Amino acid sequence: MKKQQIAFVLCLLAMLSGSQAWAAGDAKKGADVFAEECGDCHSTVAGKNKKGPSLNGVFSRKAGSVADFSGYSDAMKQSGITWNPEKIDAYITQPKKVVAGGKMKYDGLGDAAARGDVIAYLMSVK
Amino acid sequence: MNIMAVFRRTILRQSGLRKLAVLAGAGVVLSLSIQSANALPSYARQTGSECASCHVGGFGPQLTPYGIRFKINGYTDSDGKEGKIPLSAMMVVNSTHTAKDVPDGDKVNHFNNNNNTAMQEASVFLAGRLTDNIGSFVQVTYSGVDRTYALDQADIRYARSVKLGDKDMTVGVSLNTNPTLTDPFNTLGQWRFPYTSSDFNAGFGPAAPKVESLGGGVMGVNAYAFYDDSIYAELGLYNNLSKKALNAFNTEDQGKFKGVGTYGRLAYFKDRKRDNFSVGLLGFSADIQPDRAVLGVADKYRDVGIDASYQYLGNRQHIFTANASYVREWQRLNYTMLGADDVHNTIDQFRAAGSYHYDQTWGGTVGVFDLRGKTNTSLNSTIDEGTGLVTNGSISGRPNTSGYILQADWTPWGKEGSWGGGWANVRVGVQYTGYIRFMGGSTYLDSEGNERRARDNNTTMLFLWTSI
Repeated sequence: MKKQQIAFVLCLLAMLSGSQAWAAGDAKKGADVFAEECGDCHSTVAGKNKKGPSLNGVFSRKAGSVADFSGYSDAMKQSGITWNPEKIDAYITQPKKVVAGGKMKYDGLGDAAARGDVIAYLMSVK
Repeated sequence: MNIMAVFRRTILRQSGLRKLAVLAGAGVVLSLSIQSANALPSYARQTGSECASCHVGGFGPQLTPYGIRFKINGYTDSDGKEGKIPLSAMMVVNSTHTAKDVPDGDKVNHFNNNNNTAMQEASVFLAGRLTDNIGSFVQVTYSGVDRTYALDQADIRYARSVKLGDKDMTVGVSLNTNPTLTDPFNTLGQWRFPYTSSDFNAGFGPAAPKVESLGGGVMGVNAYAFYDDSIYAELGLYNNLSKKALNAFNTEDQGKFKGVGTYGRLAYFKDRKRDNFSVGLLGFSADIQPDRAVLGVADKYRDVGIDASYQYLGNRQHIFTANASYVREWQRLNYTMLGADDVHNTIDQFRAAGSYHYDQTWGGTVGVFDLRGKTNTSLNSTIDEGTGLVTNGSISGRPNTSGYILQADWTPWGKEGSWGGGWANVRVGVQYTGYIRFMGGSTYLDSEGNERRARDNNTTMLFLWTSI
């Protein structure tokens, strides 16, 4: 197998393992991760905005679209992102890389399993 | 007024240095009386966050990393909505029992020798975002013990974010009324445990480092920077308020500064989300002429301190904290001890506290305090000139005072979804202060010259602390 093919397969495996992490996430653990990492600035209560917008119903939502939250950066509003688990996983891994010029002061969560858990938690919030 | 002030005023009545020492004592007392502050619902309304986001245990003033950043950012963070009114109010009511009645000479005016209940303070605040980059924390207080109004404390600051290399840095300027008021950590004078204490408590010793005892009698301009969310540096210049300003603010005269007082602070902070810690250094220098009516040479104060803090926050259900500080002050009392063979004096102050909070509702805190100083009967005792015997104050001539504080409290609101979320908060608690040494030993002479044990000052306080 050529080196390029090997690299391609490794990248694919890495992407799949990342996806599987959130797919197999533990929502209960994710609630704790949310409290530690996100809860000061975000709420999962519908309509409850803090320094950041409510994350209730974030999936399938267009970035920068919570009507009564006015704290978005232009970069976020113009990002064209529609939030899904993969996008959220990428965003909370390295926020500045996904939305350069965004306001969120968060360095990112390197632990893929913890990201999976918190995404599972967000998916469980109704 | 704290009974320590009454005590000092009485025991020093016969001393030629009475007036000056009372001034020094007043600073200590003032620093005690303004310690209680503040979980402010106006900040919660402004940010959309619950009190527990900024404060350990859902009630101020012990800051979480989110609260530390909010303060450093100039009290300006918000949920993006306009029209928030930066006003809050606060009230503290307490009931205090002392192990043994204090003598008449140490009694607080209008109150009993023991078992006193008082509306200790009622405050209004201008607290919050004024513009995108300017915010405030200004407190005006009515003391139900002193029965007077005063500008309790003020911190008005400008802050903005800049880039230094590829790192973020917050820079700011603060106009404020007290060194350590600006500090974002809960280890130094203004903001450390106990966050409320009774005006009927005997206090934590007859002296305190000058950096922690200037109360509201000064005004400072401080520049600060917070680099890469980790290094905090601050430099402040302080001067005394004019007589006119003192009258307007109704604050204690701290004397006239010769030159300006210099305050410096350097700290390293690491927020690991689940837990965080800080370590820091503190420095202060001031030359002060205590009596404005008779200027001359100045008393010189040089303070150096170290401090550290740790918080385990986890998922916020079980929160542990530990704070500690040590400050040494070198004094050269050219004015106060004019003509004495040795005008040098030192103070060593150690304070520490550890707390546990469950579910941001139930809290328990243990604190220790320890003040030590050189033997100096001119400062700490009254001597009968005829007999040469101590008639009041420290028998040993030392100010040494040490003991412990135990507190249990309940904070039913202050969390997301709490009743009155963003509009009201309350803490109910009981606090016990135990003395091992007071004024130099296990016994001292009270204002009437009677021997009193340190533990006779042990105090139990019930308190209700509420804010809207």
